[in-house]
Amino acid sequence: MLALEFPPLSHIVNWPGFAGDGTLWEINKVVLIYAFAVLFTILLFTLGNKKRLVPTGAQNLAEMAVEFVEDGIVMETMGKEGIKYTPYLLSLFFFIFFTNIFEVIPVIQMPASARIALPMFLALLSYVIYHGAGFKSHGFGYIKHALVPPGVPIALLVLVIPIEFISKFLVQPFSHTVRLFANLLAGHILLVTFAVLTSGLMVGKWYAIFSPLPLLGVIFFTAFEVLVSFLQAYVFTLLTGVYINAAQSHEH
Amino acid sequence: MRRTRLLMAAAALVLLGFLGFARPAAAQESKTKLSHPAEECIKEIEAANSIDVDCQKAPNPLLPQANEILWGVVGFGVVFGFLAWKGLPGIKAGMNARTERIQGDLDAAEAQRTEAGTVLAEYQAQLAEARTESARIIEEARQAADEVRSTLQAKAESDIAELRAKAAADIEAAKTQAVADLRGEVANLAIAAAEQVVGHSLDRDTNVALVESFIDSVGATS
Amino acid sequence: MSIAVLAATGLTNKGVAALTYGLGAIGPGIGIGYLVGQSVQAMARQPESAGMVRTTMFLGIAFVEALALIGFVVFFLAGA
Repeated sequence: MLALEFPPLSHIVNWPGFAGDGTLWEINKVVLIYAFAVLFTILLFTLGNKKRLVPTGAQNLAEMAVEFVEDGIVMETMGKEGIKYTPYLLSLFFFIFFTNIFEVIPVIQMPASARIALPMFLALLSYVIYHGAGFKSHGFGYIKHALVPPGVPIALLVLVIPIEFISKFLVQPFSHTVRLFANLLAGHILLVTFAVLTSGLMVGKWYAIFSPLPLLGVIFFTAFEVLVSFLQAYVFTLLTGVYINAAQSHEH
Repeated sequence: MRRTRLLMAAAALVLLGFLGFARPAAAQESKTKLSHPAEECIKEIEAANSIDVDCQKAPNPLLPQANEILWGVVGFGVVFGFLAWKGLPGIKAGMNARTERIQGDLDAAEAQRTEAGTVLAEYQAQLAEARTESARIIEEARQAADEVRSTLQAKAESDIAELRAKAAADIEAAKTQAVADLRGEVANLAIAAAEQVVGHSLDRDTNVALVESFIDSVGATS
Repeated sequence: MSIAVLAATGLTNKGVAALTYGLGAIGPGIGIGYLVGQSVQAMARQPESAGMVRTTMFLGIAFVEALALIGFVVFFLAGA
């Protein structure tokens, strides 16, 4: 058969450190991606902070992004009382989006969210924030608010409360993490698969003529992954907004 | 257009290069210098004579690496701090300033329009006032003229009537005088005649009364 | 056919995991297809509410997709 050797998963997503190998402060490719994401966000918002009447370039981009997060996510999920969460959701969106988009940027080509560390941290932070918002809004009645949906017969509560507890307090952060992590990991593996196939076909045998086919696949899925990077950043932020709203809203 | 064509040509060259430098099947092993753990792992594999050794196994991708979490916290913290402190307020300030400026321009335009409207209304009001004023003055003048004319006319008429009445009175007076004179004359003549006829038989007063009564009866019958 | 039987017929743990993930992806696939189809229909019928429908659609997709992605993760837990 073909001389195809699919690299083990550790070679796809696990990177050796550049510095401080093995220590807690080890700097590897993923850390580099975080640094780039921070740099890009700061650059975008510094260059975009011009007060021209007709926005162009970076200003236009920054204002569009702010409007997108504020109108499309904050207002859509939480309404007026969610405005105070805008900085958090905006930084979630930008940090996730920029770390994701490195999936398709040449040379780096690795989404930081394909490692579970970042999604897990962000999901846990959001978990703390939305349950905190719930307790702040309802006091200790929040537990009842979260676990007992209105209009359920008393007899069913025995069934409903454990289900609600599992879904709200256990599964929700897990699915929040996994949604981002698995999407990006799957996308990355997809790109690697096509790239490995292209590379494996280029072996100087007659079937090298087929290598452009997976190459087309790489190009197509690169475009698709741009969409996925954006969409997952959007969905993660949107879900955070929805969870905060569900926790702090007074009507069910 | 030229840039697009250049880009396409470059892409085609790169593709050709890829196909041209297709590696031989055996050249999979890289000759680059391996890192220390990798060398150890190779030694381990050689010692065990199997690739199924611990160092070759991928760490479970579901377990987070501590350093990545740590740097993720730092990175996210920096992004959040920057956005909350400077980025978002800056952009929002710019957007609000634009909104305010446009709103201000609109308000100013609206105010100017309103002002122009009031000025126009004022001007029109003044014009209308002037027009009514002039009409009033003309009307007054005409009324005054009418009054003067009617006064003059009435005066003339009254004068005429007065003259006429005076003339009529004069005529009447003259007539009465004439009648009285005539009556006296007639009485005198009659007395004289009667004196002539009767001759002093009657005194004068009785005669006058007689003649008067006679004339009265004549006047009554006539 | 139990997992043990599958393994006995020569399927490795990895193979079973991959197969199971494939099976697990069927349901969410159908779900997302139906969800997006209905959303497109709603948007075509009432274009003025397209924004609201789109947000809700992405939310729904995110919830349904989570099932398939959990399957993906289980694949890693079990097989890789």
